[in-house]
Amino acid sequence: MSELFDQFIVEAQDLLETAGGALLALERDPADRASVDELFRAFHTLKGASALFDMAPFTRLVHAGEDTLSLLRDGRRALTPELADPLFRVLDQCARWVAALETAGALPDDAPTAADALVRGLAGDAAAEGTAAAGGEAEAFPWLAALTAEERAGAGDGRLTAIDYRPDPECFFTGDDPLALFRRVPDLRLLRIEAAEPLPALAEMDPYRCVLHFRALSGADAEAVRPAFRSVPDQVHIAAVTLKPALKPAVIPIAVAPPDSLAARMLEEQGRILELPGSAVERDSRRAAVARAVAAILASLGRPADRRMIEAACADAVTLHRFLAEGPARPATPESPPTAIPAARRALRVEPERMDALMALVGELSVVKGQLGPLLRRAEDGELATELRRDLKGFSARLDTLVGDLRHAALRLRLLPLARVFDPLPRLVRDTARRLDKTVELMLEGAETEADKDILDVLGEPLLHLVRNALDHGIEPPDRRITAGKPPGGTLRVRAFQDKGGVVVEVSDDGAGIDPAAMRRAAAAKGLLEPDAAAALSDADAVRLVFAPGFSTAGAVSDLSGRGVGMDAVRAAVERAGGRVEIASTPGAGTRVRLSLPLTLSITRVVVVEAAGALYGIPVALVGGIQRVPRAAIRAVKRAESVVLRDRVVPLVRLRRLLGQPEDVRVRESDCVVLAELGDGPVALAVDDVGERADVVLRPMTGVLRSLRGYAGTAALGDGRLILVLDLRELL
Amino acid sequence: MPVRFDSDLARFEAACTAEEALPLAEWLETAAAPRVDLSACTELHTALLQLLLAARPALAAAPEDAFLARWVGPLLAKAG
Repeated sequence: MSELFDQFIVEAQDLLETAGGALLALERDPADRASVDELFRAFHTLKGASALFDMAPFTRLVHAGEDTLSLLRDGRRALTPELADPLFRVLDQCARWVAALETAGALPDDAPTAADALVRGLAGDAAAEGTAAAGGEAEAFPWLAALTAEERAGAGDGRLTAIDYRPDPECFFTGDDPLALFRRVPDLRLLRIEAAEPLPALAEMDPYRCVLHFRALSGADAEAVRPAFRSVPDQVHIAAVTLKPALKPAVIPIAVAPPDSLAARMLEEQGRILELPGSAVERDSRRAAVARAVAAILASLGRPADRRMIEAACADAVTLHRFLAEGPARPATPESPPTAIPAARRALRVEPERMDALMALVGELSVVKGQLGPLLRRAEDGELATELRRDLKGFSARLDTLVGDLRHAALRLRLLPLARVFDPLPRLVRDTARRLDKTVELMLEGAETEADKDILDVLGEPLLHLVRNALDHGIEPPDRRITAGKPPGGTLRVRAFQDKGGVVVEVSDDGAGIDPAAMRRAAAAKGLLEPDAAAALSDADAVRLVFAPGFSTAGAVSDLSGRGVGMDAVRAAVERAGGRVEIASTPGAGTRVRLSLPLTLSITRVVVVEAAGALYGIPVALVGGIQRVPRAAIRAVKRAESVVLRDRVVPLVRLRRLLGQPEDVRVRESDCVVLAELGDGPVALAVDDVGERADVVLRPMTGVLRSLRGYAGTAALGDGRLILVLDLRELL
Repeated sequence: MPVRFDSDLARFEAACTAEEALPLAEWLETAAAPRVDLSACTELHTALLQLLLAARPALAAAPEDAFLARWVGPLLAKAG
């Protein structure tokens, strides 16, 4: 890839980011001249830059955006939320394209159609969209021509509205449920649900990635259908079509070959061969011949397809026609890379002063290393041990300090401002609030607070969820707020600050708050707690129930909260990173959720323990004490053991048992016990032996090991031995 | 819980959301002869639908919800 192209990618990413920020600012204050100018400049530059390369749909789209913006700039149009929506969509589409350009070097195949839809959206001329596509039914909806007789009968004839909906693979994360959208389509006559790409084996399937493609026909007008897809306009193509009464399926245009070309006629002929009467054996052999012929023709057209797919398509004439009308699926390679995009842009920007500090320390390290040589010589010369020991001690102390400083400097390199996780929030709040018909002001504080980049990665998803949750369940609709004597618009505050050795992020809203009484009732109704136990909960504990697995506070599951991550997942993610979650809520006044995370994940101090011959690490932060307990002091009721430690009765768990290792058969007078302080009380962990304490660099489990529960990661000890660091919360 | 998993029968009840996707995927992988009962299911999230399409478990009972019965049931019955 040329340098110029690389530069365009970087520049386009920056420009799109700037434009997004300016558009948000402009929507808040439509009179903001500076933002209009900035937005216009960004589109203008994008147009110019993209024209240097072969990406006509991109240029066309930003050109249309520029036209719309020039109306804004000249004061001929004002920015309304209705106008902001398509502009945001244009920015989103451009960002997706830039990502595709970065990975694949070219725009995706559907770029021209996507650009057309968005350009029409900018013009605000929905009617034009319908008429433009009406004539070109086969072009825009090739599958229409290949409906089975049964599907045709169900759809009826005449004017219909065709819907082609290819959901964004990541759409589950934004709360979309593509199938549910079709419930809102009036007079649904046909719904075809197919895999957009060959379905992978179940074990390799990512359950949170949408791989389906929806095609539908409705008897209602396009205008009546469109509202159902209001939230996903860039993923759906809707247009009026006219279905001719079912004739012979001979009029099917064959997408893979030019009309009337020899190849097209040959392919049509293959369909007729399949329809010829004959015995089962005859038909089978014909099918095989047709499959070979189709494969050969497709290969000669430069569109080779998978043999199995062709064989499946040759089952009957209609299937073959459908297969040829849609064109064989392209190899899936250009489709799959997008998942890897987030990683591509993870360059770390480092302040020069931090680099300098690190360099200075490295210099010092060389000086200290230089002292080792003379010491070594003195030892070889047989110098007295006492003197040598004193100097060696001094050397060791200096090295210790230096290593500590170096580590600190290296960690500071990894510190990044929280702005990174705050950046997506304004747009998320804007879109979500608009979808929910609420007015919400977002206040961000402390974006300059720094945390380790691993912590930021942990923080991102839970933060998005908390914000979404506050918008969805916390802040009330304007009419209810007015009745409650509040201003109609809600306020959502996200605040970050540093706190002793860690970073704290608070998400607070001035919404309805959580009613502890309702929580108690729900807990009892869901069978999470006995009614008595629920009634005995303090208000604070009752509110904390939102973090219990399988608990949802809302009476009805809205389309936003019906997503994969619940509050229990937020808690789990934060606790896995060694952090804490607290919640405080006042009914009627609002809710505050506070996430406290350590400043860094990288270095963890662990106690090394031994069980069944293997070494494990337990984070020191969890260890309340280590002691030997005489066997006699351990009380056993059946297999449940307990021990009295520091005047408390503590349940005793044997690590060998937890890890599924054989019991220790050696007869011992006492057990080595590590007292672990977990969120829900202390646990005594019996181990074979306790070793040193060590600072280790914790490496999370990767690959197939990632799904392994109960381990926080692996780490290497000073002497090179590898240990598994236990995640006791998960293990117990 | 909207989906109740037995050793080889999963009962879908009321509105089944994306939160069930992971447990469902795990169950489909481990169950020897998975069968699903959709009769009491009122809403089936797309994430669950695509898992069912990929795994093709036997349909023990078709959905009664009108929308699902018309558009999803036949698809799954065909798959099984």
